Amino acid sequence: MSAAPELQLVIDLPHRTAASREDFLVAACNRAAVAWIDRWPDWPQPALGVHGPAGCGKTHLARVWQARAGAVQVDANDVGAAAVAGARHVLIDFDADATLPRSAERGLLHLYNRLREERGHLLLCHREAPARWPTELPDLASRLSAMPAAAIADPDDSLLAAVLVKQFADRQVAVAADLIEFLVRHMERSFVAARTLVAALDNAALSRRRPVTIPLAREVLAAIAGERQA
Amino acid sequence: MKSDSGDNQIQQRWARVRGYLRRECGDAAFRSWLKPLTLVGMRGSELRMAVPTRFMRDWVATHYGVRLLELWQIETKDILTVEVIVDPGRSEHSSADATGGDATRPAEPAPVPPVSPSEPGRAGSDLVLSGLDARCTFDNFVVGKPNEFAYAAAQRVSEAGAVPFNPLFLYGGVGLGKTHLMHAIAWAIRRRAPDRRVIYLSAERFTVLFVRAIKEKDVMAFKDVFRNVDVLMVDDLQFIVGKESTQEEFFHTFNALVDQGRQVVLSADRSPSDLEGIEERLKSRLAWGLVADIHPTTYELRLGILQSKAEQAKFEVPPKVLEFLADKITSNVRELEGALVRLAHDLQFVGGVITLETAQEILHDLLRASDRRVTIEEIQKRVAEHYNIKLSDMHSARRARAVARPRQVAMYLSKQLTSRSLPEIGRKFGRDHTTVMHAVKKVEELTSIDNGFAEDLDLLRRMLEG
Repeated sequence: MSAAPELQLVIDLPHRTAASREDFLVAACNRAAVAWIDRWPDWPQPALGVHGPAGCGKTHLARVWQARAGAVQVDANDVGAAAVAGARHVLIDFDADATLPRSAERGLLHLYNRLREERGHLLLCHREAPARWPTELPDLASRLSAMPAAAIADPDDSLLAAVLVKQFADRQVAVAADLIEFLVRHMERSFVAARTLVAALDNAALSRRRPVTIPLAREVLAAIAGERQA
Repeated sequence: MKSDSGDNQIQQRWARVRGYLRRECGDAAFRSWLKPLTLVGMRGSELRMAVPTRFMRDWVATHYGVRLLELWQIETKDILTVEVIVDPGRSEHSSADATGGDATRPAEPAPVPPVSPSEPGRAGSDLVLSGLDARCTFDNFVVGKPNEFAYAAAQRVSEAGAVPFNPLFLYGGVGLGKTHLMHAIAWAIRRRAPDRRVIYLSAERFTVLFVRAIKEKDVMAFKDVFRNVDVLMVDDLQFIVGKESTQEEFFHTFNALVDQGRQVVLSADRSPSDLEGIEERLKSRLAWGLVADIHPTTYELRLGILQSKAEQAKFEVPPKVLEFLADKITSNVRELEGALVRLAHDLQFVGGVITLETAQEILHDLLRASDRRVTIEEIQKRVAEHYNIKLSDMHSARRARAVARPRQVAMYLSKQLTSRSLPEIGRKFGRDHTTVMHAVKKVEELTSIDNGFAEDLDLLRRMLEG
């Protein structure tokens, strides 16, 4: 901080993300996933996989389903305990780069089997489609490959704009329409980039006590591009 | 506090629920498992019911829990969960006063000697029902060369009054239909001889129940259930490997049943002799009856399965797509059927008809091991090749249409297929982001008026993604 004494220290206060079904932005890239969640409990199989890049809204959708189904969220490492007894509906939402531990494969298989018998449901959220998880246990691998999987793809321009607006709104930052348009034209077009960019803009605006404007956005984008090259 | 009329109402509802259960499950099962259930009371949206032992609680919760809740919810929507607790102090005789004030009394955790249901030795009847998949019947099993022997053996077991061979041991790789055949046996027996007591469960569940019975000193009740059935079916026996005392208990149960001339049906992913970690004496007894293996599917069987499943689901799929799936998804039947289900549902969401292309797109995660991330450089190279121009023309200043159009196509595809920012895409073409935006607009215009161009573009996209 000493290099820039005029900057105000910004504490990263967690902002509350609007995460109900009504807050979810539906677009071409996530329509199938939303449709699967909306049609619950009418799922053809005991489990559903939702997969897509970081920040694409998997967790948001998972929360919506969890609330609707009264599902219990289980950590992949504890899946063995959930397999024996417990909730009728189970959510496993993997962190960014987490994978299913080898030691949990059996547990997940038995959880799947238990839920099938009890007519419960399992929602798996992960970067990668369940069919592509490197699974050693053949019984589990075949179940993962047979389950319906809904992909969420990278956003198109209109969804990217909407995601930016929503994330600014979650942080209670008012922005102009031309700023959003500017960002969409200049940023990397992915969910995770939208998240990083909005956070960086919010921080920059707070620390410099400036509103979020196109000139500020230009600086922040340049800084992000510089970091990527470094 | 509840009023007396509230108590009365809930008792009447319980009487109706009991009535349904008795009819659905049959007298024997009802007497063994459901008659001892007593009403404790409501706590918020949770209805509490009690049974005298933990072992009974586990059976009731596992096998009748879902149905119990469904039946209660027909009576009243206020109930969201049904909790079965252990209360040795209660018996069916006390059910008359089973509501109201003592709803909050904690359940007695102390283990108790098994309280035999009203008719000792009849326990376990019909336990099979709740875990069975209604779709898994003999009628729905598609027979071909690889599975006809196992199919015939399973049918034989389900028809016989006497025990034709004991045990029937079904084995084969995952997802080839072992569980389907076992469920089919159970359904068929239930239809032909409703009095026969059948238990179907996985080896894993057998283990869980046995371990719990030991922990809760309830082993007598456990033995009682398993040694008094007419047909015992244990699925995925490989999961018992290495669990010594469960294996021991299973061995005794198995012997007791076989000695009494009761039918045992087992399945595993390998033959008895290949089950490592299982005692030799058990291994040899497992192979005493009939060992029937299910072979990996052939193309013809896979196609037959797909045709039959599509027909059942009234799902119209072009033969070309079915042939494609039968050709590509060779690992097992579960994945094959899963693929068909996915096609049917995804199409409902997005509309349209099924073609080879849509099928490949919907199932891309299954058909391809990974999605390649295309780079701008690759796009430039492919597009240059496609239009037969030099790669250097992608960033040259030449503005002749012969190079400008392919360049625009490459910019458009870079925007569609990568998440790079427009300025970054521009840089790779030696231009700025407004040129990229212009190119995107131009290409979009062209696709809407020129079908040939649109198809060309689609072809390029597929090549790059594939």
